[in-house]
Parts: sequence; C-alpha cells; structure tokens
Amino acid sequence: MTLQDLRPLLPLLVLSAAIVTVMLVIAFKRDHRLTFALTLIGLVLSLAALPLASSGLPRTVTPLVVIDGFALFYIALVLAASLVVVIFSFSYLEKVAGNREEYYLLMMLATLGAVVLVVSNHFVSFFIGLETLSISLYTLIAYTRFERQRIEAAIKYLVLAAAASSFLLFGMALAYLVYGTMQFDQMSSPSNFSAADSALLTVGLAMLMVGIGFKLALVPFHMWAPDVYQGAPAPVTAFVATVSKGGIIALMLRLFAFVPLTLGSNLWNVFALIAILSMLAGNVLAVVQSNVKRILAYSSIAHFGYLLVAFLASNALSISSMTFYLVVYIITSLIAFGVITVLSHPQKEFEELEDYRGLFRQQRRPAIFLGLALLSLASLPPTGGLVGKIFLAAAGVESSLWLLLAALVIGSVIGVFYYLRVAITIFRQPEEESAVWTAPRLTPLAEVTLVLLSLGLIILGIFPAPLINLIEAVAARLG
Amino acid sequence: MVWLFYLAAAVALFCTVMVITRLNAVHALLYMVMALLSLALIFFLLGAPFIAALEVIVYAGAIMVLFVFVIMMLNIGPQSVDQERRWFNLSTWRGLVFIAGILLIELIIALRLGFPEPLDVTEVTPHQVSLSLFGPYLLGVELASMLLLAGLVGAYHLGRREQERPKK
Repeated sequence: MTLQDLRPLLPLLVLSAAIVTVMLVIAFKRDHRLTFALTLIGLVLSLAALPLASSGLPRTVTPLVVIDGFALFYIALVLAASLVVVIFSFSYLEKVAGNREEYYLLMMLATLGAVVLVVSNHFVSFFIGLETLSISLYTLIAYTRFERQRIEAAIKYLVLAAAASSFLLFGMALAYLVYGTMQFDQMSSPSNFSAADSALLTVGLAMLMVGIGFKLALVPFHMWAPDVYQGAPAPVTAFVATVSKGGIIALMLRLFAFVPLTLGSNLWNVFALIAILSMLAGNVLAVVQSNVKRILAYSSIAHFGYLLVAFLASNALSISSMTFYLVVYIITSLIAFGVITVLSHPQKEFEELEDYRGLFRQQRRPAIFLGLALLSLASLPPTGGLVGKIFLAAAGVESSLWLLLAALVIGSVIGVFYYLRVAITIFRQPEEESAVWTAPRLTPLAEVTLVLLSLGLIILGIFPAPLINLIEAVAARLG
Repeated sequence: MVWLFYLAAAVALFCTVMVITRLNAVHALLYMVMALLSLALIFFLLGAPFIAALEVIVYAGAIMVLFVFVIMMLNIGPQSVDQERRWFNLSTWRGLVFIAGILLIELIIALRLGFPEPLDVTEVTPHQVSLSLFGPYLLGVELASMLLLAGLVGAYHLGRREQERPKK
C-alpha cells in the first residue's frame, strides 16, 4: 500500500474521519443540531471526494479493496441515500427522549459498512463490511429502546442475521477450499474441476446465497422483513430498505461477475425458484396487510425478486438494468419512508392504513409525494418505476426466461392492486373521529429533499437515457 | 494421527450441542469454554499454534472471566454459597473434566509426536500472522476497529441506565 493508494480511498477515509470527529464531538458536547450538522457535512464531503478519487481507475488497494467506476457509482448511491435518511431523521429524533446523538454515529458506521461492501474484492472485506452494517443496524433498530416492538424487532434481526452470517462464513470457507483464493477477481474456475470440487462449490455458493438472500429478504429468508420494517423506527426502516440492500446488490454483482452462474445449472435453478417465490409470495402476502410499513416490506421482497430476474439472465443488460432499477427503487423507497418518517412520532408511528385515510385533505404535499412513490412502485407512468421494470424485463427476454417473466408479470399485476389500495385510501374522505390526529410540520430541509426526490423520479420516468448511459459506462468495466 | 483431529472435532461438536441444549446458562457457558478449547486444539493440529493460543486466551479466557463476573454480581450472600457447595459435587463436574482430559491427552500426544503424515501441515508462526496483518490485510484491521466501534457505541446506548423512560 502506497501513498497513491490513498487517493482512490478518499471517500472511505473522509467518512471514517467524519465518524471519529462526530464521536469526539459527542464526547465533549452533546447537541442534537451540532451532531446533525456535522453528519451532513461528513456525508457531503465524502460525496465531494468522489471526483477526486476517480483518476487512475480501476485500482486495487491491497487485495481487500478495489475502486473502479462501478464502485464509485454505488458509493455515491449509498452515500446519497444515507444523506437523505439522515435529513429525514432529524425531526423524528427531535421528539425522542434521551440521547439522540449516537443515532448519527451509528448511521454513519452503517453507511461505512455498506461502502466497504461496495468496494470489497475479498471475502474478508465482504464479511467485515457486512458485520459493520449489521451490528450498527441492531442498535439502530432498537434505538428508541423503551418501545417494546423496537426491542422485539432488533432481537429478531440479531438472531436471524447471526444465523445468516454463519451460513455465509461456511459458504466462504467452501469457496476458498475450491478456488484457493479469497479474492473475487482471481476466482476463475480451473478447467480441471473434479466432480467433488464442483459439488463443494455449488454447496458453498448456495450458502453464500443464503447470507445474501437474508440481507435482501428473498423468500424463504424473508421472515424478518415485515417485523423489522414494522418494528424499527421509520427512518431506520428507510435505511434498511435502501442503503443496506443497495450495498449487498453491488457486492453480489461484483462477486458473480467472476464466479460463473451458468444458465440451467442446479444452482441457477435454485436461484430461479427463489426469484419466483419472492415475486409471488411477496406480492400475495402484501395484499392481506393493513399496515403500510408491512405492505412496503412485502413489496420490497417482491421487488428484489424482480431484480433477480435480470440477475439470472446474466447477459449484457443484466448489470445495467439491475443498477437502474435499484436507483429507481431506492429513490422511491426514500420518498415513501421519508413521508412516513416526517408524519410519525417515535411513540406512535404513522403506519396503519386507516391512519392514511384522508391524508390528502389534511396534508396536501406529503400525500402527493407518497402517491407518486406508490405509482412508481406499481410501475405506472410517469415514474421511473415503469422504465426500470421494462429494462429488467428486457434483460429477461434477451435470455428467454419465460417462466421468470411470467412470475414478474403476475407479481406486478397483484402489486398494482395493493399499491392503488393505499393510494385510494389517501384520497378518501376522512372519517369524523380521525380529525383528532394533528398534522406535524415538515422541516424545510425535508420538504426540499422530498421535492428533489420526486422530481428525480419523474425525470427518470420521462428521460432516463443519461442515467442509463452513465450506468452502462460504469458497468462495462465489471466482468 | 488424523484421529487426533477427528476426536477433537467430535468433542467440539458434542460440546456445541450441549451449549445450545442446556437450560442453565452457566452450564452452557462451561460447555462453550470446552468447545472453544477443542477448537483451539484443532487450530493447533492444523499448524496454527498462534491462533490456538489466541483462541484460549481471548475466547476461553475472556468468557471465563465474564462468567466469573456474572457469578460474582448475581449470587451474593451465604444462601448462594451454600447452594454452590451443594452443586460442587462429583456428578456435576466429572463430565467436563473428562472432556478436558481428552483434550489434554491429545495435546500431549500431538506435542510428543509432532505432525505425522496425514496432518503434514506448514506451521504458521506469529511473525507470519503479523506480517499479513500489517501488509495485505491492513485495511481489514482498520475496518475491524470501526466494527468494534459500532459494537461499543451500540452496547453503550442500549445498556445505559434508564433515566429518560417516557412517562406513561
């Protein structure tokens, strides 16, 4: 490692320096506004360091980390999503009794974990990044620790994440046994693979997929998602839905760019089954929910099932279509959970479908933002959701995955039903007794962020070409 | 000499099953210490004496200390002394001593015989471990410190005394 290696690492270094600074400032002076401002500055500086890091790429910094265009794109995505979540968190945390400052520290640590996932080129950095993300999340989920359901959600996440991590470690050990290396870019299958080797590798990759599938909440590893989405504080739910999953997707794309997943192999069939189950079960179970956070949890299960369709196609369109869809999904989720966050109180979250009845009459703007997000989730025009879904389907068509595409279409149709059910509830006449609910005030910063996100979502729906070109440029380097 | 490995592995498996099936937390902890000791022996047989020593010092050692703290802080008073005296009879501890004895005998055999054919492994010395930690894995060490920071801040936040419980 040399001095030149530090330059590509700048975003990580700035983020780590911000973490240490915030920690020290908390130790000397507890002040919510100050910590919030420092966190924002840290994340913005880290984003600003991205252009500086972008010369002389791709660059492998020690065997653990590789910085290339793909990594920088995903770092930007993760940091921006984290920034938005932090902005939404402020007004929510103002109402929290007790210490609020550690929240920002943990949020940045979790972001660092996701960034490490994005740049990792090695099982060691993969695991450390994943654990940094998970351990910060355990505390974040239980952050307002006097609400029973927070603790319940955190314990569920802790137990299941620990089980998933042990599967992941075993899978890594088996893959290491076969490849003899833990570095992703050296994992090319030798031609003299014995039958035992390929059996070991299949089991190892399946175990890796258990760990990854858990984090992405794919069926049958989805059990935690509804409870954690519902039980966690609303801004933390937003983080779990966006930053955490975005980091894992980047890692999965990088890993499987080197480890081949051939069409029609046993492993491929298992993945296909997981994808179909996720798309169908996620959507069907979402229909019967009456809690908006749970609906969004099941919908996220289905959406990551859609992503797997393009992943399994493994053709030229896969990486770019998945990345585009992920960007749209993250923007959409940030809007949806952002609206839930700004309307919620730590002791009474704004989450039951009945709460949303007549939202439009009381709070025009949040209702419109949420409506737009629902349109995008249902992949209806004029939002980016439609373009993303078409792009994903195109990748599937390219490889003629008709069964998976059928599940995608059926899932989407079911999806339209329950998204529109929420949307209609928002615009319905409020009942008399619901008038007791007093509308909280939106902070100007949160409102500006929501407007920008909504504009972005519409622009991606009407004029997606610039982003697609950018993604194709960075994805070309991979694999 | 490959049976040394299989015996240690069997002990590790048995102890781990006992950890998750014991209803008494202290018993489970004791079996966990035994499981960690047998893992240390496996590391030793695989040619990593440094990791084996760390396993004993950090895991078995630290967990034993934690366990002692728990006993010290939770059961204080003549009543519990009496209870402990009743627990401290042959039937309670002979199983664990037997397992520890197996591991000890294995260790002595391995030390006397060296590493014969089937376990012909290259020994990884502390020097090599530290070279790789300060060389290719430097970033891993730094990132692990961030991981520990996350755990520390989390434990501090969740474990703090409950002063600010909202009034119902």
